[in-house]
Amino acid sequence: MKPASTEKQQTAVAPIMTVAQKNTIEKKITVALVGNPNTGKSTLFNALTGLNQRIGNYSGVTVELKKGKFEYQKQTFDIIDLPGTYSVAARSPDEMIATNLLLGQIEDLPAPDLIISLVDASNLQRHLYLTTQLFDLGKPILLVLNMMDVAKSRGVKIDLSQLQKTLQLPCLAIQAHKQIGLEDLKKSIWQLSERLDKIELPPRIPFPAVFESVIEQIKPIFPEIKSDFLIRRLVIDVRGPLEKKYCSDEDLPRLELLNNSRTELAKQGLAVPDMEARERYRWLRQATSHFVKKEEAVSGSWLDRIDRILTHRLYGTFIFFLMMFCIFQTIFVGASPLMDGIDYLREWVGSTVESNIQIGPLRSLIVDGIIKGVGAVLVFLPQILLLFGFIAILEDCGYMARAAFLMDRLMAWCGLNGKSFIPLLSSIACAVPGIMATRVIENRRDRLATILVAPLMSCSARLPLYILLIALFLQKPWWLPGLMLFMMYLIGFISAPIMAWLFKGTILRGPRPTFIMEMPSFKVPSYKTVLFRMWEAGIAFVYRAGIIICAAMVLVWASLYFPNHDSENHSYDKQISTIQEEIDQLRHSIENLDSYSEAKEEAPLNNSDRENLEKKLEEEIQRMNLLYGQWRRQSYLGQLGRGLEPIFTPLGWDWKVGVAVLASFTAREVVVGTLGMIYNQGEVDPKEVLHLKNAADSPLGIAIQSQWQTNPDPANKIERSVSPILRALSLMIFFALCCQCTSTLAVIKRETQSWFWPLFTLVYMTLLAYVSAFAVFQLGSLFL
Amino acid sequence: MLGSLVPLDCLQPGEFGSVADISGEPEWICRMAELGMQEGCHLKMVQNGSTCLLQIGECRLCLRADKSAQILVRLQG
Repeated sequence: MKPASTEKQQTAVAPIMTVAQKNTIEKKITVALVGNPNTGKSTLFNALTGLNQRIGNYSGVTVELKKGKFEYQKQTFDIIDLPGTYSVAARSPDEMIATNLLLGQIEDLPAPDLIISLVDASNLQRHLYLTTQLFDLGKPILLVLNMMDVAKSRGVKIDLSQLQKTLQLPCLAIQAHKQIGLEDLKKSIWQLSERLDKIELPPRIPFPAVFESVIEQIKPIFPEIKSDFLIRRLVIDVRGPLEKKYCSDEDLPRLELLNNSRTELAKQGLAVPDMEARERYRWLRQATSHFVKKEEAVSGSWLDRIDRILTHRLYGTFIFFLMMFCIFQTIFVGASPLMDGIDYLREWVGSTVESNIQIGPLRSLIVDGIIKGVGAVLVFLPQILLLFGFIAILEDCGYMARAAFLMDRLMAWCGLNGKSFIPLLSSIACAVPGIMATRVIENRRDRLATILVAPLMSCSARLPLYILLIALFLQKPWWLPGLMLFMMYLIGFISAPIMAWLFKGTILRGPRPTFIMEMPSFKVPSYKTVLFRMWEAGIAFVYRAGIIICAAMVLVWASLYFPNHDSENHSYDKQISTIQEEIDQLRHSIENLDSYSEAKEEAPLNNSDRENLEKKLEEEIQRMNLLYGQWRRQSYLGQLGRGLEPIFTPLGWDWKVGVAVLASFTAREVVVGTLGMIYNQGEVDPKEVLHLKNAADSPLGIAIQSQWQTNPDPANKIERSVSPILRALSLMIFFALCCQCTSTLAVIKRETQSWFWPLFTLVYMTLLAYVSAFAVFQLGSLFL
Repeated sequence: MLGSLVPLDCLQPGEFGSVADISGEPEWICRMAELGMQEGCHLKMVQNGSTCLLQIGECRLCLRADKSAQILVRLQG
């Protein structure tokens, strides 16, 4: 099989060689990783690059391009991971990006010197379709067969040397999941990079002569298209982005000529676009017969049987919800010991810093603002890690696609399809990657509807508040916390489709979209991939806590700290510090009295002294609380909160909860830290902290519980009548439905290229949250 | 019944068929062809319903009933 035109291919290769030579001098080789979805591309990319990777932002590029690097034999290799695709036939501008990148037409990104075409060995013919399209690019290709073990288990035998001979390109087999063959792969990439200009290019799949003559006729009509590859795609991809780019409205004669050529092809039985698939598969069927041998079909394997149950309408749906419930219960229970550890560390750091810095704004900023505020958020890191771990396992083993299949019926009802379900499910972890994952949805209206409802899914940033309030007010019986958490997530699962249905019926009305999705085969999740996802999520969370949340906390601290003088110009922190010293002394005296009695091994004789001391201690603590209350009330944030209280009252909130919610519009997690600052944790008896078992026993938990239940702020009228359970529910519902996340709004702006949609999301979600919290509190008040 | 032409959505779970005709928009037909669903290819219905699950070779595809009705298959044993 010879190339259709050797001369043409030589021309196409010339500029690459220049780049290759230049890069060789600079000791940098760019490799593009291309493959179908579910081929193990991400696993291979992670295995090759480790932590040396980042998501690239390039002008005009809206699809996610991951870039990483690795070294072999002192040579640095840059790897670009392209989004998974079945074909280079672009149907949207986003899909065109992959082609532009491969042709080196994206600013700041060099043309790849080598393309790795990753294919699933168990489904070779289907996956080689894309590889044969890559042949047309006229670039060096290394064919990498993944999942050889799966192929073997299905009775598929592949003769690699025969494959290499038939396709005329270098190839090797790996098992990315088990890290088998990676060293050989690196070596092959290095060996090929050493002789880039000498690599024999794979031959183009021969198309009928009629097609080639049509291409020759078209070329002079579009002299600006220099690439032979692009001319062919222009003819094949009917109504594709190339046709739109080169045959604009003013260019109707050219479009007519193009369509005439297509009609001519159709008359010859070669109607585009399906002619391409027919010709390529015809060639592939013949070619694969030389190197693929399939034994008797291995039917009825246990995985197939499990799959039948998991995709079953009734059993599958039941298992899906049961699994979700178990995951949330595990997150709740499993993370407690680690959370206690972090909380203890935070207390220790806080007290160490406190004892080394003098009283004043600086100490308050560091201890109350940064350590307590950011620490209150960081304490939820174990839960975030567990959640991301579970999501990574579900994704990696192939279950997510089953869930999408099951949920397609629900999605169809609201005018979307199963493809929207995966971004929605990913939004459980975080709406930002969820919104970015909507790029797989071809239809713009569907994509927009999915983007608008994705922030309704309960993300991990809501978890801290849920955990805290559930642990405080909805803890018994034992099954209630897990169930409540599950219910909070269910709110997202129910409200997102309803809102999507509303949008699709009104502002995003359009024809029903088509739905085709490939179901990946089940496999054992790779622990490396899972750990990597957890690491990524952990870093992102800590980074967020470190930058956005820290900045928000400092702002909240400042507006709660200032003005820090009372009407007689006495500094609050100095007054409190004096009382604190007295409290410490009193405690010390009580302890001394106790140890004296113990040493004498007799009942305390000085009972009345002890009682007096305890009474005094209680009075001092009360005086301190009152002073704290006064200080917070007259602070800038306190003034604002009290001013806005009429808005919060119908939801069952006082001004303190109200300002915590207002502050959390920067990032949801801020609410916990703000509550921590408002209900100053210094008020809590430190002895109780020693018995920490869960979030309810944390200093903040104890403070909220005592404040909400005992009404320590008599100046507040609504405190008396509000049930803490109802207040907790109203607050949780508000958080479940409100879009308090600047990162989400920023990513919506980036994905929709418009300010309208992020603003729209903010407004509709805030209104929805307010109305729902109002309804829950007001209806609940009738019963509780 | 064997050998008769039926729309794909009429296949019961576990039944086999070979694709006889696909009709619809050219882009859709092309997308299906790229995924291996072409005239003459053999398939198995794994789960039927408003969204069905098909097995074509080693690949499993999910498809909605409105689209699968546009595919005619010849029933096989």
